[in-house]
Amino acid sequence: MASLLELRDITKSYNNTQVLAITHLVIKQGAVYGIMGPNGAGKSTLLSILAFLISPTSGNLQWEGMDVNTLNKDVLRRKVTLIHQNPYLFDATVRKNIVYGLKGRRIPKKKRDETLHECLELVGLSGFEERRARELSGGEIQRVAIARALALDPQVLLLDEPIANVDWHGIEQLETILKDLNEHAQITIIVATHDVNQVHRLSDEVIYLFDGRIAAKPPLENLFKGRIVKKDKDLFLFDTGKLQVALPRERDSVSRIAIPPEDIIVSHKPISTSARNSFAGAIAQVTDEGDLVSLIVDIGEKLRVRITKRSFQEMHLNLGSPVYVTFKSSSIETF
Amino acid sequence: MEYLWEGIQRAIVLIISLDSEVCRTVLLSLRISLTATLLASLVGVPVGFLISAHEFTFKRPVITLFNTLLSIPTVVVGLFLYSLLSKRGPLGPLDLLFTPPVMVIGQFILAIPIITALTISAIQMVDPRVKWTAMTLGAGPVRTALTVLSEARFALTGAVIAGFGRVIAEVGTAMMVGGNIKGYTRVMTTAIALETSKGEFAFALSLGFILLMVALSVNILFHYFQGKRG
Repeated sequence: MASLLELRDITKSYNNTQVLAITHLVIKQGAVYGIMGPNGAGKSTLLSILAFLISPTSGNLQWEGMDVNTLNKDVLRRKVTLIHQNPYLFDATVRKNIVYGLKGRRIPKKKRDETLHECLELVGLSGFEERRARELSGGEIQRVAIARALALDPQVLLLDEPIANVDWHGIEQLETILKDLNEHAQITIIVATHDVNQVHRLSDEVIYLFDGRIAAKPPLENLFKGRIVKKDKDLFLFDTGKLQVALPRERDSVSRIAIPPEDIIVSHKPISTSARNSFAGAIAQVTDEGDLVSLIVDIGEKLRVRITKRSFQEMHLNLGSPVYVTFKSSSIETF
Repeated sequence: MEYLWEGIQRAIVLIISLDSEVCRTVLLSLRISLTATLLASLVGVPVGFLISAHEFTFKRPVITLFNTLLSIPTVVVGLFLYSLLSKRGPLGPLDLLFTPPVMVIGQFILAIPIITALTISAIQMVDPRVKWTAMTLGAGPVRTALTVLSEARFALTGAVIAGFGRVIAEVGTAMMVGGNIKGYTRVMTTAIALETSKGEFAFALSLGFILLMVALSVNILFHYFQGKRG
């Protein structure tokens, strides 16, 4: 497969803080890539650079072997479309949202209408043409955003965590659509996701991002920086700045901890166990991962928790539900 | 209290009978204020957008300046124009004093800060994702800007209405540079001031009543078109 995009020594800094540093990355025509990494690893920044929405601070970005600085960004942007994690629909009808990009490309009205119907059908929203964007549910907004991007028939489709807050059925549909597009239309697809299973189901290649750099191994989840602030007889207290976590007395100096999402218990009420860490929080994000459900619980820090779908349903959990999370200090990995 | 009732009755009679003097005054008020608002919008909205959408060194002071100009007294604008345009002033030879065009200029100056300042805040309120979304859907810089403006259309209409509200209701500038010449530069507010000073409460009240209705109707009209476009 031919190289479509090539990044060399690309960095991106905001206010002198480097958020991305990619030594070398090649995106091949017609392949599907998954980008994995914890929050703040630089996934969205990388996608925005690949979508030509922001320019790297330094380094060389090539499109089909040409330095993009020598090419017209407006023209390039018409070949690449990014679907945001939390997509924005213009305050208008679904129709106007979907034909927006087509109008800019001077597609005749008849063809625009055909594409509109096709794309709405593809995402299961036939008949939604005249609905107002503001009246749609979260899942519908996401699907309209996908239809709006597909309507443009881009050469590269970028998706930033497209499955957060979408139910399993929706994810299956989306994955089918993406696979289909890739196989039949040879569209290059790059998906940033937290979902390990999804990344392997979809991608030809997985890019692991960690602290803005490409890592060889899957990154750890729930990784927090901080320091030990208190040493007791049997416990150390680790402070991330937003959260204090009890650690076992193992190492004197700890600068990072990782809490495995599978080792966290979710409950409606505080539970009394031997576990040293229990926090109250609220569910900030729900992602269906098939048999498992991945939650983000905001307890000061955003904690990823993975529980079975069955317990998720039995507990009647929802976005915004107040919950307690509990985990043993011995389950925490320290660095 | 009787004269209140009398004023309302008289206003109704004046409106129904389409009194030519009243009609001329109302139409001139509308013509001057709508022209001034239109011109001020054509300048204020793009300027507000440019200030809001770009980062530059003196951005904060410039925004503060426009906010300060919001409260510029109408008589000061009148005085400023008067001193420029009076016979002895630098622009005296243009012979513009006491003409409708100079009233438009005065109201234009009054409306610019309101429309600009409210446009700045309207654009700042627009979700930053609008810009990124327009861009990733292939919109160039001009279409992206128009899309951002379109998403802010409700707040922008509010800005224009606020500008119109200020100028249709102002009396200081209209009086000083218009001169309240009957049939030529007499507008509703200056007529009201004159009739009140003459002791013609009922007539003044009826004009006040009409002014109120005109202001309300223009607002309703704006909202109607806003609804249609949305």
